Amino acid sequence: MLTLYKARSVITMNESMPRATAVLVRDGMIVEVGEPEHMEPWLRHQEYVVEDQFVEKVICPGFIDPHLHPSMAAVLLPMEFITAMRWKLPWGEVEPVTDAEGFDRRMGALSTKKSVDEPLFIWGYHQLWHGPMSRARIEDIAGDKPTVVWHRSFHELYMNAAAMDMVGVVAAEIKPGMQIDIERGWFFEGGLGYAINRLNPWILAPDKYAAGLQRLKQVVHHGGHTTIGDLATGMFNFSAEAEALSQHLEGDDVPFRTRLVAHGTVLTKGGVPPQQGPELAEALLQRNSHRLHFGRHIKLFSDGAFFSQLAQLQEPGYIDGHHGEWLTTPEILEQHIRSYWHAGYQIHVHVTGDLGLQLTLDILQKMQEEKPRFNHGFTLEHFGFSTPEQIRQIQALGAQVSANVYYLHELSDSYTQNGIGYERASQMARLGSCFRAGINTTVHSDFTMAPAEPLNSMWVAVNRINHVGDVMGATEAITPQQALQAITLNAAHVIGMADITGSIRAGKRADFTVLDEDPLTCDPLDLRNINIYATVFEGKVFPLA
Amino acid sequence: MTKMITEKPITLIGGYLGAGKTTFINRLLNSGGLPSRTAVLVNDFGDINVDEQLIRSGSKSDQVIGLANGCVCCSIADDLTSALEVLKSSAIERVLLECSGVAEPHRARVQCHYPGYYPHASVVLVDALNHQQRCKDKYVGTLVAAQVQQADLIVISKSALNPDFCLQTLQPTIDADDQDAMEVVLGWGSDANHGHSIPTNLAPSFFTQTWQSRLPVSLADLTQRLEDLPGSVQRVKGLVATDAGIIEVQRVGTDTQLTPWTQPPHTAQLGLVIIASAADDLASIDWAS
Ligand SMILES: [Zn+2]
Ligand SMILES: [Zn+2]
Repeated sequence: MLTLYKARSVITMNESMPRATAVLVRDGMIVEVGEPEHMEPWLRHQEYVVEDQFVEKVICPGFIDPHLHPSMAAVLLPMEFITAMRWKLPWGEVEPVTDAEGFDRRMGALSTKKSVDEPLFIWGYHQLWHGPMSRARIEDIAGDKPTVVWHRSFHELYMNAAAMDMVGVVAAEIKPGMQIDIERGWFFEGGLGYAINRLNPWILAPDKYAAGLQRLKQVVHHGGHTTIGDLATGMFNFSAEAEALSQHLEGDDVPFRTRLVAHGTVLTKGGVPPQQGPELAEALLQRNSHRLHFGRHIKLFSDGAFFSQLAQLQEPGYIDGHHGEWLTTPEILEQHIRSYWHAGYQIHVHVTGDLGLQLTLDILQKMQEEKPRFNHGFTLEHFGFSTPEQIRQIQALGAQVSANVYYLHELSDSYTQNGIGYERASQMARLGSCFRAGINTTVHSDFTMAPAEPLNSMWVAVNRINHVGDVMGATEAITPQQALQAITLNAAHVIGMADITGSIRAGKRADFTVLDEDPLTCDPLDLRNINIYATVFEGKVFPLA
Repeated sequence: MTKMITEKPITLIGGYLGAGKTTFINRLLNSGGLPSRTAVLVNDFGDINVDEQLIRSGSKSDQVIGLANGCVCCSIADDLTSALEVLKSSAIERVLLECSGVAEPHRARVQCHYPGYYPHASVVLVDALNHQQRCKDKYVGTLVAAQVQQADLIVISKSALNPDFCLQTLQPTIDADDQDAMEVVLGWGSDANHGHSIPTNLAPSFFTQTWQSRLPVSLADLTQRLEDLPGSVQRVKGLVATDAGIIEVQRVGTDTQLTPWTQPPHTAQLGLVIIASAADDLASIDWAS
């Protein structure tokens, strides 16, 4: 049985035929794209149905987020959001809350909504917008309902007395100097581990985690994705995660596939020499199912978290003189890269600062000298700060870029003031240069670091507007055409799936994202407001309300 | 500042990759000198020889626990915290914690304020062969320098391969190959000056004092002062400006060596570090005049 999808327009992302009005699909595979009259030879001898619910819509290739973290998301999504930025979630849009009164009002509303003994977990607090937090402030609003207020960065939290009782914080154990302020109910840095250890029974409880993954499934569908990349499978625990993923992200009701990329340092945890990494990674392929695929991909780590200003910077560094962190000892990173490079793997390296990037590029250069490889797909993940000279190196070494462009939106203003100054802050996510250099470039959310909404990433990449409304580094903006390519075909290349998805042409899977408006002709400022009507995964329609 | 006896001290063993942390820990494990009820937390099991024999008989609560590198995006799965939780209610009395090669002692120290524990000392190993070179490395130069700066006690490794190596710092420094290096490391306390010692009968505690003179002293006077030091003084090290030029002082036990400083004077950081096993003796050293 064939299905003929008709549309106002089909954006194919196939340069040889950029636009069409119909797609013909058999068993989840595209057999022809073009105009209906050209499809006659297929239709003459075979049964077919016409799917005309999209005749007023625009069909795009299914969106791809090549880097997010389902396991992290599963922990976060059961929580309530009170955030300074807007988050569009399937169960309701989280309106930005940018002051202290607003925060308290919403905390109060959430508190009365929950039953008496159900603890309230709130995520998204940030002192810059929401004012100083304390146990007393929480108690003024939520009284003795156990309430935990988690910072946007995940690196600190506040609890009221009821929450501390619930999880078993012993006030007598807490002494000065240990980064817990028991009066304020504040747990940070060293003290955070103490709190999390006690909170784990709540946040990692199997039913919570399962509910979190179900919510993630909705988030991914809602964002219009038909493919995602889990870019650190095993971050908590390989077998537990793999089991949970196959239970919740496999099956006919799941409207997307997942490229699983193993967390390289966890894989060789326990003193396994880096040379044995590829062998262990190879064994993971046994776990593959229809929607969940490990491939010959590995994730490694260079420098520290961007949100915590731990990116490693070249001179002149941070304004306050602090420096970033290495997540992996440089020599050890090189050993890991070497073993996967020689085993023919596609290597994804988390890089945030220009020094972290330089280290990674220097290692890649060494690898190319040891054993030249073409089409190796070496990918620079996050790509916060870079220099124009590094763009040339990336291009010359044949690497690709997967950028968290949302950094620019959320952080460029504050990093101008408290971080690195205007010049470099405005040039985060140097995407225009990447496209001009012909580097395969995509964007990702690193969800839960940024909203899993490809249209929002597209909006930031095209407009480069930060959260206070300033345009930052206008010449690094990309066109809507480039941005759409970033979230479809280029992303497919980055996760090694361009042979089956990322564009609409004969022979690929029928993965579509169906929009009300045309993202290539609408006002670029409206990109993030385009309504997603439905997605199609391998020929099956998954409507969105 | 007295600490509750139930709190367990954590000694951090830091230093960059190749500085000899693993060799040092293996020696500790093998030496038999490791006090019972000590838990050793190693950064990765990699090259640590953990076999039944090392977890010595008669002290079943000795433990070696492997830690994975710190988690990336969050601290939900934090191996160190879980290990400390487990050990908290055990019979363990002290912890040796091997830091990752890229850890800064200051940041690692923060972790040691975990309830039930306190940071006892940050010991940093420095590789005599490669340290100077590494300090110039564009990726880890600042880090390696910061590791040294933040140490309470510096242990020089591989000095046999580079006998001329000299670290320009006023921090207490010992050599990894010293007979009593293990004892010194185990007994070292960053807050030793507050009269705090760790609860063990095996390892002595050590105390340190620095002495700096604004005016040059006479060489004869310096020699006399060194001779008069009480017997509990284990080590003296540093540079002093004298009427005979800058003199490098090295004293281990009662063996004192005075050598003229031949490098440019501005490179010399003047001052003496005196290490003793009795705090009172240190207090009685009055070189002020
Ligand atoms: Zn990352
Ligand atoms: Zn990530």
